[in-house]
Amino acid sequence: MTGVMCRALTVLCLMGFCSALFAQAPDADFDALLQELRESAQDSATLNREREARFVEQKQQREALMREAEAKLASARKKAAAAKSRYDTQQAELLAARKKLDDGVGELGQVYSTLRSAAGELRQQAQGSLVSAQFPQGESLLGTLADGRRLPRLAQIEAFQLWFLRELRAQGEVDGFDAAVVATDGERSQQRVTRVGPFTAFTEAGYLVRGDDGALQLLPRQPAPGLHGLIDDFVEAPAGESTAILIDPTRGELLKIESEKPRLFERLGQGGAVGYLILTIGAVGLLLAMLQSAWLTRGAVRVQGQLARIEQPDAGNPLGRVMLAVDQADGDDPELLELKLSEAVVREAPRLERFQGLLRLFVAVAPLLGLLGTVTGMILTFQAITVFGTNDPKLMAGGISQALVTTVLGLVVAIPLLFLNSLLQTRSRAIVQILDEQSALALARRLDRRSGASDV
Amino acid sequence: MFEWLAPARSVADFLDAGGWVLWTVLFAGVLMWTLIVERWLWFLRAYPQARAHASTLWQQRPDRRDWASRRVRAAMIGRASQSMSATLPLIRTLIAACPMLGLLGTVTGMIEVFDVMALTGTGDAQAMAAGVSRATVPTMAGMIVGISGLLPMHRLNGRVRGESERFGELLEAGSGE
Repeated sequence: MTGVMCRALTVLCLMGFCSALFAQAPDADFDALLQELRESAQDSATLNREREARFVEQKQQREALMREAEAKLASARKKAAAAKSRYDTQQAELLAARKKLDDGVGELGQVYSTLRSAAGELRQQAQGSLVSAQFPQGESLLGTLADGRRLPRLAQIEAFQLWFLRELRAQGEVDGFDAAVVATDGERSQQRVTRVGPFTAFTEAGYLVRGDDGALQLLPRQPAPGLHGLIDDFVEAPAGESTAILIDPTRGELLKIESEKPRLFERLGQGGAVGYLILTIGAVGLLLAMLQSAWLTRGAVRVQGQLARIEQPDAGNPLGRVMLAVDQADGDDPELLELKLSEAVVREAPRLERFQGLLRLFVAVAPLLGLLGTVTGMILTFQAITVFGTNDPKLMAGGISQALVTTVLGLVVAIPLLFLNSLLQTRSRAIVQILDEQSALALARRLDRRSGASDV
Repeated sequence: MFEWLAPARSVADFLDAGGWVLWTVLFAGVLMWTLIVERWLWFLRAYPQARAHASTLWQQRPDRRDWASRRVRAAMIGRASQSMSATLPLIRTLIAACPMLGLLGTVTGMIEVFDVMALTGTGDAQAMAAGVSRATVPTMAGMIVGISGLLPMHRLNGRVRGESERFGELLEAGSGE
């Protein structure tokens, strides 16, 4: 409450001070102020007049500029109209000239267009042709003829005709020429090239194809060695003698495809881990079958030897061991002897039939592993489809070839093992048969002897 | 001039279309049928002699009823049966292997098709045709060769069984006299 009272008091005091200040101003000062005001009013009037004068002057200048520009525009328009009329007349003249040209060309127009399209077609052929690798100037001629806006000159037409005839001639001949050849390491060198019609070309290093830039390239991977041998035969053949030589009727395409085909070991690599597993099984099976087969052969030879000396059993062969077992048995009881005999034969059998069970297992397992590889390959294929879509069959082909290669490997391993197993089975069974028979005969003889002895 | 060669040429075309697997199937088929014919000829020619020989041997035995003779008889029957079925396991293996060879041909043919696809894309059906015929022809040939062997195999098995029994009876009858 006291704060508010104080503030009101201060305001009242200030108001009193101000009224006192006004009341004290003298009259002389007031006149001087009036005088000053009048002078300043006069000054500003002069200034305003000067500004007005300046504005008027500027306006007049602008108007003059405007008039000048309008005059320029008019003259330009006039010029444009003149140019347009000149253009029109010249256009009409051009049309007339063109019509005159067409009239003049007349029937020849068709000839030219035929020539142009023929040159265009032939240029495409010539780009991949081995003949034009020998005569490269033909391609530029065809290029000017096919692309040229101008009418071909008579000399060009004649050159074209000559080129065509030479091409025809060259397609039917085997010819040698020197040309730049790009080797597999990218190095260019001048080499002697032999060309067989438009079909194949080769140096002594191997077959050539025309690359995208038109240069002769040595195929990075030559086709099968047998085909390469044809080149050597051709080079070594004496003149006048005919030899066989490779011809590619697609003019290089088949050779390119052939060179891109995977080789045997790449093929095996496509099978992946499963493929190598199958190959390992095959190798182990083959090794075991060979060993056992050799062992059986040795056994059979010894058994035959024992058959020749039937009276002297030898412990070094199955038959000898069985006969020794019979000889060493005591007593005359035929039942007991027979038991001993069959025991001895049964003892021999496992060694003769060794590995057969394992081989049967391998024969069964190899195609199954192949199937496993097929399925993993299909999984790869479907992964490729998931990622890249079905647009590019080349991307899928990798997985598919794995799928198929493992199946092939499984079958390739299983079929020979099947035969080997059958072979082992037949041989071991033959030996066991001999053992059965001969031991029974020996037993019979022994019993005969005994009964004979007791008779005597 | 060589018209009479036309059938041979079409066979050669057929074999070419099938590729190397078809040659293997052909070899297996020829081998199998040679073995089958060999067995038939053996039963026709060699077996009667062997049987007569065994019968004489049996007749020459003084005593045909004691234990030793029974063993000898079992051994003789065993040997006869063994020689009767000498090549049968091989024939059986060939019959089993022929469809497998056909399958092998299918898969190698498919590989060829996919090779062509990998190189030229799927557009060119003609380029794939060689692989397709390599895939199908050996399968068909393998099946035909395998199936053609089944019936003779069955007959041969029956024959071996029957002849073994009859062989035993022959020796038995011999002992009865």
